[in-house]
Amino acid sequence: MNRTPLQSILLYGTVIFAATIILFPIFWLFNTALSTTVELTQLPPSFWPEEAQWQIFTKVWNDRPIPLWLWNSTITAVGSVILSMTVSVLAGYSLSRFSPRGSHGMGLFILTAKMLPATLLVIPLFAIFRSIGLIGSLWTLIIAHSTLIVPFTTWMLKGYFDTIPRELEQAAMVDGCSPLGAMFRVIMPVSMPGLAATALYSFVLSWADYAYARTFLVNSQGNWTANMGITTMRGEYVTDWNEIAAAAVFVAIPIMVIYLFLERYLVGGLTAGAEK
Amino acid sequence: MATIEQNLKPRRFDLARPSRQHLLGYILLAPAVILVALIIIYPLFISVDLSFQNVKLARIGSARKAFTLANYEKLFASPDFWLACWVTVKMVTAVTIGSLLVGVSTALLVNNKFRGRTLARLVMALPWAVPEIIAVVMFAWIFDSTFGLISWLIWKIGLTTELIAWVSTPGPAFWAITVTMIWKGFPFVSIMTLAGLQSIPDDFYAAAKVDGANAVQRFRWITLPCLMPVLGVTLVLVMLWVFRDFSIIKTMTDGGPLKSTTTLSIMTYEQAFGFFKFGYASAVGVVTLIICVVASLAMLGRGSKAMY
Amino acid sequence: MAKISIENVHKDYGDFTALHPFSLEIQDGEFVVLVGPSGCGKSTMLKILAGLEPATGGQIRLDDRDVTDLAPGDRDIAMVFQNYALYPHLTVRQNIGFGLKMRKVSSNQIARKVEEAAKTLGVSHLLDRKPKALSGGQRQRVALGRAIVREPQAFLMDEPLSNLDAKLRVHMRAEISALHNRIGVTTVYVTHDQIEAMTMADRVVLMRDGVIQQIADPDTLFQKPVNLFAAGFIGSPGMNLLSAAFDGAMIEMFGKQVPVNIQENAQLGGVIAGLRPEHLELGDGPVTFQVRPSLVESLGSEKYVYFHDEAHHIVRSGDAEEENDKGLIARVSHTGHLSENENLTLSFDPANLYLFDAETERAL
Repeated sequence: MNRTPLQSILLYGTVIFAATIILFPIFWLFNTALSTTVELTQLPPSFWPEEAQWQIFTKVWNDRPIPLWLWNSTITAVGSVILSMTVSVLAGYSLSRFSPRGSHGMGLFILTAKMLPATLLVIPLFAIFRSIGLIGSLWTLIIAHSTLIVPFTTWMLKGYFDTIPRELEQAAMVDGCSPLGAMFRVIMPVSMPGLAATALYSFVLSWADYAYARTFLVNSQGNWTANMGITTMRGEYVTDWNEIAAAAVFVAIPIMVIYLFLERYLVGGLTAGAEK
Repeated sequence: MATIEQNLKPRRFDLARPSRQHLLGYILLAPAVILVALIIIYPLFISVDLSFQNVKLARIGSARKAFTLANYEKLFASPDFWLACWVTVKMVTAVTIGSLLVGVSTALLVNNKFRGRTLARLVMALPWAVPEIIAVVMFAWIFDSTFGLISWLIWKIGLTTELIAWVSTPGPAFWAITVTMIWKGFPFVSIMTLAGLQSIPDDFYAAAKVDGANAVQRFRWITLPCLMPVLGVTLVLVMLWVFRDFSIIKTMTDGGPLKSTTTLSIMTYEQAFGFFKFGYASAVGVVTLIICVVASLAMLGRGSKAMY
Repeated sequence: MAKISIENVHKDYGDFTALHPFSLEIQDGEFVVLVGPSGCGKSTMLKILAGLEPATGGQIRLDDRDVTDLAPGDRDIAMVFQNYALYPHLTVRQNIGFGLKMRKVSSNQIARKVEEAAKTLGVSHLLDRKPKALSGGQRQRVALGRAIVREPQAFLMDEPLSNLDAKLRVHMRAEISALHNRIGVTTVYVTHDQIEAMTMADRVVLMRDGVIQQIADPDTLFQKPVNLFAAGFIGSPGMNLLSAAFDGAMIEMFGKQVPVNIQENAQLGGVIAGLRPEHLELGDGPVTFQVRPSLVESLGSEKYVYFHDEAHHIVRSGDAEEENDKGLIARVSHTGHLSENENLTLSFDPANLYLFDAETERAL
């Protein structure tokens, strides 16, 4: 591209400016975590602590049940992913290959499911889980998170399967596979990238939930997920901002790592469900 | 010519037979249908059912209470409800416009070729990766009334004479939430817009240049029209996200102060788990859902298929 | 190897009939080509033969074994697809051996047979590569290898050459024919390209809109097309078609009276005369007439001369409009220069005329 030097400066300048503003809150989080309480209760706010308090991380890790929270969030997410992916992969494949006589209806339904506020669904789910005595168990979350995940992943997967030519299964069937055999021996291996991306996306969705966790687990401290744990660190009157910031870093890291893996699939995966 | 023995094991229920092949479609769809029926459709029916009963703490299996429209009557007569509607509309508008502006701008920016472009794209989408609760932690501190950065900054610049208590004053609280949401929400718009921009064939621009169009004209006559469908869908999705949001508002301001940040979603939750009025809460929730559906369909019209 | 019996097979999608009752007896070792324009039902028929789609009615027998509702894998057939359909996650070796593995053949045997098939098709050096590392032609050969390795009773090929570039297509055409001569397996081949049909087939089945138009060997199809569609479809450039007034013994063409021998007479609604471009010659002949060419295309030793006779010229159904505009074509041997817009003498022999009933479009 032929740019005048002025245009280049303008472009790079704008990019750097925008990037700084976007990244600022994240930087500020680290700044807050590494500052002493004294520095935090001073004005003007310091832009970097005099001595970075790295030990805050070990302190918070040991003092607070952070490992427990992370563990709960993780197994909930893993459970949700397994449940949701199983169901959506089969359904997405069916919608892609068979277009059974319900697919338009299914589509409309998924549309509505995206509009459902979790705060509406949480009420009857609470009642249901209460009657079967499941309240307080992580199973409630695994099941409830599927309501968040399945509507998205089914359609993402359908879009993805659509890109795989039908002739592959046909060739496998002529070679002697049953239709299910063709699906598992041929289509699944070939779809691995799409499946992996969808699974990671499901993980992120499950990890992000707060509404369900807060409602079903409020009285079961041992089962608290990371999101719940963090919010309880905000005291009624006093908050140790450096501690909560450090805890926040712990909670954010897994997802940011996943995001790095997901990034190249983001455009494809997100838009596959939402365009044309 | 010797034939290889057909050593395939005979299948009892042979789905591979042409006449039976289509059955697999239904079989594969069944788990999803069952799951969805159990955890979405059935609860939805319960919700609607509850909304017509005078129920405090619902219990499945206990005798149904009498059918009554009282919840809905109360709802439509309640100033709190209309306030929540108004807050919701304000917030949806503000966040959507903000996200759109920032999202489209960043997408346009990053669509150019320059060194470090991949890094820029990564950075631009980063807020999406940060969990909402963490974003609240970040911004709650930044907006902290006493020691938060923004308060100090605005006071320093001279816009106010005293520190604003962001989270405990109605007006500013609203804006604190809005800013947080825009920060969280714009990457989605960016990504979608970027995808849309990249799907515009270069030939369009080449032809326009040959025809003598300058950059502004190219933007108006090529970029915008091609982007419209994507933006439309994105807009609706952002709208729905704000409508439904619970985490950010609940943990940042808990609907306060003085209900200035209570959206319909928050109100629903409050009534159910704050006041334990499941019936009334369900009514609010149902109305919220209907508004969502109507608004989305109205905005998309027959293009609703695009939203799958 | 086996003979294939197709009896009254038809396929409906609700109200729409994709395939009208289709009957055909294919002999053991025969190479049959189903040809026709898009949407004529040829691929549907092939898929039904393969068991990838259920027929709405009819029967299919393979060597007297009723396979109509048998799974594709149980029919002992192999298929070659237009886009090769090689398994991307397997090597060429595993691709070719896949069908054998499904049939629980011992791994020694699989290894041996895969080597054999690879050698026949000249892909032995590619055995350990993955499909994405192969060129189009190589992929097609691997697909063929996958088909022959199982020594099935029949091959089904669905437009296997359509994705190859022109030169490669000519080369692979010859290879497939050579392969067929060597192995001699009954083959059903689907294409929209009439040249492939003419050069490769023992017999051609011409189809249109789900109906069989004609079943014949290539020469017969060329010399005795049974209706207007068949006449126009086969041959390149296509046959010239003109409406001609018929008075009982003569038809009028280009202003001349031409004697014809038509058996049925009085009930005719009108006559359409067909004349292949290569049957028009420069200079005088049994029927001579003058034209003013609108366009002359030179191919070196041959020329295509385009001229018009709007009053009588018939558009072949399915023609693109541009061809219509170009008018009638004469294909003449001539080197040197022929100018347009100058009078030219053309002639033809009435014996080379094809005659059709204008209403029923059947040959007379």
